[in-house]
Amino acid sequence: MNQTNSCRVCSRREILKVGALTLLPLAVPSAVYALGEETPMTANGAADPYPIPWLDKNGSHNQPAGPNLEPSHIYHFKGRVARCSTFTGMGTDNQGNRIAFGSPTTDYGVMQGEYWAARTTQQGTFTHI
Amino acid sequence: MFRGQAVPANQIHDFHPPIAPSGLYWVVPVPKGGLSISADGSTFTLEMENVAVVDQPRWPALDSIATPARMSFKMVWKSTGEPVKYEDASKHLRFTGTRATCQLEAQVEVPAIGFSWKSDALNTSKADFAVVGEEVNGRYYDV
Repeated sequence: MNQTNSCRVCSRREILKVGALTLLPLAVPSAVYALGEETPMTANGAADPYPIPWLDKNGSHNQPAGPNLEPSHIYHFKGRVARCSTFTGMGTDNQGNRIAFGSPTTDYGVMQGEYWAARTTQQGTFTHI
Repeated sequence: MFRGQAVPANQIHDFHPPIAPSGLYWVVPVPKGGLSISADGSTFTLEMENVAVVDQPRWPALDSIATPARMSFKMVWKSTGEPVKYEDASKHLRFTGTRATCQLEAQVEVPAIGFSWKSDALNTSKADFAVVGEEVNGRYYDV
Protein backbone atom coordinates (compact mmCIF):
# COMPACT_ATOMS: atom_id res chain seq x y z
CA MET A 1 0.00 0.00 0.00
CA ASN A 2 1.28 3.43 -0.90
CA GLN A 3 0.93 5.64 2.19
CA THR A 4 1.13 9.43 1.94
CA ASN A 5 1.84 12.09 4.55
CA SER A 6 -0.07 15.35 4.02
CA CYS A 7 2.66 17.36 5.79
CA ARG A 8 5.71 15.58 4.65
CA VAL A 9 7.28 18.97 3.95
CA CYS A 10 5.92 21.68 6.29
CA SER A 11 6.99 25.27 5.89
CA ARG A 12 7.85 27.46 8.89
CA ARG A 13 4.76 29.63 8.10
CA GLU A 14 2.47 26.56 8.23
CA ILE A 15 3.95 25.47 11.57
CA LEU A 16 3.36 28.95 13.08
CA LYS A 17 -0.25 29.00 11.78
CA VAL A 18 -1.04 25.63 13.34
CA GLY A 19 0.59 26.68 16.61
CA ALA A 20 -1.52 29.83 16.86
CA LEU A 21 -4.74 27.91 16.20
CA THR A 22 -3.78 25.38 18.87
CA LEU A 23 -3.51 28.15 21.49
CA LEU A 24 -6.90 29.71 20.61
CA PRO A 25 -9.11 27.38 22.72
CA LEU A 26 -6.96 28.09 25.75
CA ALA A 27 -7.66 31.80 25.44
CA VAL A 28 -11.46 31.60 24.97
CA PRO A 29 -12.46 29.82 28.23
CA SER A 30 -10.89 32.52 30.37
CA ALA A 31 -13.17 35.06 28.69
CA VAL A 32 -16.20 32.83 29.34
CA TYR A 33 -15.34 32.40 33.01
CA ALA A 34 -14.90 36.16 33.35
CA LEU A 35 -18.49 36.67 32.14
CA GLY A 36 -19.76 33.89 34.43
CA GLU A 37 -18.38 35.62 37.50
CA GLU A 38 -21.09 38.29 37.15
CA THR A 39 -23.95 35.77 37.50
CA PRO A 40 -23.13 32.95 39.92
CA MET A 41 -25.30 29.92 39.35
CA THR A 42 -25.95 26.46 40.74
CA ALA A 43 -26.52 23.32 38.73
CA ASN A 44 -28.93 21.32 40.88
CA GLY A 45 -31.61 20.64 38.30
CA ALA A 46 -34.97 22.30 37.82
CA ALA A 47 -37.41 22.94 40.67
CA ASP A 48 -40.20 21.40 38.58
CA PRO A 49 -41.74 18.25 40.09
CA TYR A 50 -40.70 14.78 39.00
CA PRO A 51 -43.30 12.84 37.04
CA ILE A 52 -44.62 9.60 38.48
CA PRO A 53 -42.53 6.69 37.11
CA TRP A 54 -45.48 4.55 36.00
CA LEU A 55 -46.47 4.57 32.34
CA ASP A 56 -50.01 4.30 31.04
CA LYS A 57 -51.02 2.29 27.97
CA ASN A 58 -50.00 5.21 25.74
CA GLY A 59 -46.48 5.39 27.21
CA SER A 60 -47.07 8.56 29.25
CA HIS A 61 -46.09 9.13 32.90
CA ASN A 62 -49.71 8.84 33.89
CA GLN A 63 -52.15 6.53 35.64
CA PRO A 64 -55.89 6.45 35.12
CA ALA A 65 -57.94 7.59 38.10
CA GLY A 66 -59.37 4.67 39.99
CA PRO A 67 -59.21 2.44 43.05
CA ASN A 68 -55.69 1.40 44.05
CA LEU A 69 -54.09 3.53 41.35
CA GLU A 70 -51.61 6.36 41.98
CA PRO A 71 -53.73 9.50 42.51
CA SER A 72 -50.82 11.95 42.19
CA HIS A 73 -49.02 12.93 38.98
CA ILE A 74 -45.98 14.12 40.98
CA TYR A 75 -43.42 11.76 42.44
CA HIS A 76 -41.43 12.36 45.64
CA PHE A 77 -44.48 14.16 46.99
CA LYS A 78 -46.40 14.44 50.24
CA GLY A 79 -49.53 16.49 50.63
CA ARG A 80 -53.18 16.83 49.80
CA VAL A 81 -54.60 15.26 46.67
CA ALA A 82 -57.97 15.25 44.93
CA ARG A 83 -58.66 13.08 41.90
CA CYS A 84 -61.63 12.37 39.66
CA SER A 85 -62.57 10.81 36.35
CA THR A 86 -65.32 9.61 34.06
CA PHE A 87 -67.06 12.92 33.66
CA THR A 88 -70.33 13.48 31.89
CA GLY A 89 -71.72 16.87 31.05
CA MET A 90 -73.00 19.10 28.28
CA GLY A 91 -72.15 22.44 26.81
CA THR A 92 -72.73 24.74 23.85
CA ASP A 93 -70.25 25.98 21.24
CA ASN A 94 -70.16 29.43 19.63
CA GLN A 95 -72.34 28.14 16.76
CA GLY A 96 -75.06 27.08 19.17
CA ASN A 97 -74.31 23.37 18.82
CA ARG A 98 -74.87 21.24 21.88
CA ILE A 99 -71.68 19.24 22.49
CA ALA A 100 -71.13 16.69 25.25
CA PHE A 101 -67.91 16.50 27.22
CA GLY A 102 -66.41 13.70 29.24
CA SER A 103 -65.51 10.06 28.84
CA PRO A 104 -64.05 7.32 31.07
CA THR A 105 -60.61 8.87 30.47
CA THR A 106 -61.64 12.46 31.23
CA ASP A 107 -59.80 12.89 34.50
CA TYR A 108 -58.48 15.70 36.65
CA GLY A 109 -56.41 16.03 39.78
CA VAL A 110 -54.89 18.55 42.12
CA MET A 111 -51.87 18.21 44.39
CA GLN A 112 -50.79 20.63 47.11
CA GLY A 113 -47.85 20.15 49.42
CA GLU A 114 -44.17 19.35 49.58
CA TYR A 115 -42.19 17.75 46.79
CA TRP A 116 -38.55 17.00 46.16
CA ALA A 117 -36.74 18.65 43.27
CA ALA A 118 -33.46 20.43 42.62
CA ARG A 119 -31.96 18.40 45.50
CA THR A 120 -34.15 19.97 48.17
CA THR A 121 -37.73 20.35 49.38
CA GLN A 122 -40.14 22.55 47.43
CA GLN A 123 -43.69 23.73 48.10
CA GLY A 124 -46.34 24.02 45.46
CA THR A 125 -49.83 23.44 44.12
CA PHE A 126 -50.30 21.72 40.78
CA THR A 127 -53.18 20.43 38.76
CA HIS A 128 -53.49 17.67 36.21
CA ILE A 129 -56.07 18.75 33.64
CA MET B 1 -65.52 16.56 23.51
CA PHE B 2 -67.60 14.28 21.40
CA ARG B 3 -70.13 14.73 18.68
CA GLY B 4 -72.58 11.99 19.58
CA GLN B 5 -71.57 9.03 21.68
CA ALA B 6 -68.31 9.30 23.71
CA VAL B 7 -66.20 6.94 21.60
CA PRO B 8 -62.79 7.71 20.02
CA ALA B 9 -64.24 7.96 16.50
CA ASN B 10 -66.56 10.78 17.64
CA GLN B 11 -63.90 12.83 19.44
CA ILE B 12 -63.74 16.37 18.02
CA HIS B 13 -61.60 18.15 20.64
CA ASP B 14 -59.22 17.16 23.46
CA PHE B 15 -57.90 19.93 25.69
CA HIS B 16 -54.92 19.54 27.99
CA PRO B 17 -51.55 21.14 28.77
CA PRO B 18 -48.59 19.86 26.74
CA ILE B 19 -46.46 17.10 28.26
CA ALA B 20 -43.38 18.72 29.85
CA PRO B 21 -39.87 17.89 28.58
CA SER B 22 -39.36 16.02 31.89
CA GLY B 23 -42.33 13.80 31.09
CA LEU B 24 -44.55 15.49 33.68
CA TYR B 25 -47.95 14.71 32.25
CA TRP B 26 -50.54 17.42 31.65
CA VAL B 27 -49.61 19.21 34.88
CA VAL B 28 -49.53 22.98 35.40
CA PRO B 29 -48.90 25.09 38.50
CA VAL B 30 -51.94 26.48 40.27
CA PRO B 31 -51.66 30.22 40.96
CA LYS B 32 -51.89 31.37 44.55
CA GLY B 33 -55.52 31.30 45.65
CA GLY B 34 -56.54 28.95 42.83
CA LEU B 35 -57.17 26.08 45.23
CA SER B 36 -59.19 26.46 48.38
CA ILE B 37 -59.69 23.63 50.85
CA SER B 38 -62.30 23.80 53.58
CA ALA B 39 -61.04 23.81 57.16
CA ASP B 40 -62.12 20.20 57.70
CA GLY B 41 -60.49 19.09 54.44
CA SER B 42 -63.75 17.80 53.01
CA THR B 43 -64.22 20.25 50.12
CA PHE B 44 -61.64 21.15 47.47
CA THR B 45 -62.45 24.00 45.08
CA LEU B 46 -60.12 24.56 42.16
CA GLU B 47 -60.64 27.58 39.95
CA MET B 48 -58.35 28.77 37.15
CA GLU B 49 -58.70 31.18 34.25
CA ASN B 50 -57.10 31.28 30.81
CA VAL B 51 -54.85 28.28 31.32
CA ALA B 52 -52.63 27.74 28.27
CA VAL B 53 -53.54 24.33 26.84
CA VAL B 54 -53.53 22.65 23.46
CA ASP B 55 -56.36 21.10 21.50
CA GLN B 56 -55.37 17.67 20.15
CA PRO B 57 -58.52 16.21 18.60
CA ARG B 58 -56.74 13.02 17.53
CA TRP B 59 -55.06 12.36 20.91
CA PRO B 60 -53.42 9.89 21.67
CA ALA B 61 -52.14 9.51 18.09
CA LEU B 62 -48.44 10.41 18.06
CA ASP B 63 -48.94 12.72 15.07
CA SER B 64 -51.97 14.46 16.56
CA ILE B 65 -51.69 18.17 15.74
CA ALA B 66 -51.71 20.47 18.81
CA THR B 67 -53.43 23.84 18.39
CA PRO B 68 -52.93 26.45 21.14
CA ALA B 69 -56.06 27.01 23.22
CA ARG B 70 -57.20 28.53 26.51
CA MET B 71 -59.26 26.94 29.23
CA SER B 72 -61.03 28.35 32.29
CA PHE B 73 -62.73 26.10 34.77
CA LYS B 74 -64.11 25.53 38.24
CA MET B 75 -64.04 22.10 39.85
CA VAL B 76 -65.48 21.14 43.22
CA TRP B 77 -64.75 17.93 45.12
CA LYS B 78 -66.89 17.07 48.16
CA SER B 79 -66.03 14.20 50.45
CA THR B 80 -68.70 11.56 51.05
CA GLY B 81 -66.97 10.50 54.27
CA GLU B 82 -66.44 6.92 53.10
CA PRO B 83 -62.84 6.03 53.94
CA VAL B 84 -60.38 4.90 51.26
CA LYS B 85 -56.79 3.72 51.55
CA TYR B 86 -54.50 2.75 48.69
CA GLU B 87 -51.04 1.48 49.52
CA ASP B 88 -48.46 -0.14 47.27
CA ALA B 89 -45.10 -0.67 48.93
CA SER B 90 -43.51 -1.75 45.66
CA LYS B 91 -44.39 1.62 44.16
CA HIS B 92 -43.72 3.55 47.37
CA LEU B 93 -47.14 5.17 47.49
CA ARG B 94 -49.75 5.56 50.22
CA PHE B 95 -53.04 7.44 49.82
CA THR B 96 -55.41 7.92 52.74
CA GLY B 97 -58.67 9.74 52.21
CA THR B 98 -62.32 9.39 51.36
CA ARG B 99 -64.50 8.91 48.36
CA ALA B 100 -65.95 12.13 46.97
CA THR B 101 -68.20 13.68 44.40
CA CYS B 102 -66.77 16.01 41.78
CA GLN B 103 -68.42 18.51 39.48
CA LEU B 104 -66.99 20.72 36.79
CA GLU B 105 -67.86 23.77 34.74
CA ALA B 106 -65.51 24.99 32.05
CA GLN B 107 -65.06 27.06 28.96
CA VAL B 108 -62.49 26.70 26.20
CA GLU B 109 -61.37 28.77 23.26
CA VAL B 110 -59.28 27.86 20.22
CA PRO B 111 -58.62 31.24 18.54
CA ALA B 112 -56.89 29.79 15.45
CA ILE B 113 -60.05 27.99 14.34
CA GLY B 114 -62.59 30.42 15.83
CA PHE B 115 -64.00 27.81 18.19
CA SER B 116 -65.26 28.33 21.69
CA TRP B 117 -67.42 26.25 24.00
CA LYS B 118 -68.99 26.71 27.39
CA SER B 119 -70.32 23.99 29.62
CA ASP B 120 -73.66 24.03 31.35
CA ALA B 121 -73.70 24.96 35.03
CA LEU B 122 -71.49 23.11 37.53
CA ASN B 123 -74.34 21.19 39.12
CA THR B 124 -75.30 19.55 35.80
CA SER B 125 -72.04 17.59 35.49
CA LYS B 126 -70.90 14.52 37.36
CA ALA B 127 -67.86 12.29 37.79
CA ASP B 128 -68.27 8.56 38.41
CA PHE B 129 -65.05 8.39 40.43
CA ALA B 130 -63.56 10.88 42.86
CA VAL B 131 -61.42 10.85 45.99
CA VAL B 132 -59.89 13.46 48.29
CA GLY B 133 -57.19 12.92 50.86
CA GLU B 134 -53.48 12.87 51.55
CA GLU B 135 -50.70 11.02 49.79
CA VAL B 136 -47.03 10.26 50.27
CA ASN B 137 -44.92 8.73 47.53
CA GLY B 138 -41.31 8.30 46.44
CA ARG B 139 -38.70 9.38 48.96
CA TYR B 140 -41.40 10.44 51.45
CA TYR B 141 -42.92 6.96 51.62
CA ASP B 142 -40.35 5.53 54.03
CA VAL B 143 -39.87 8.67 56.12
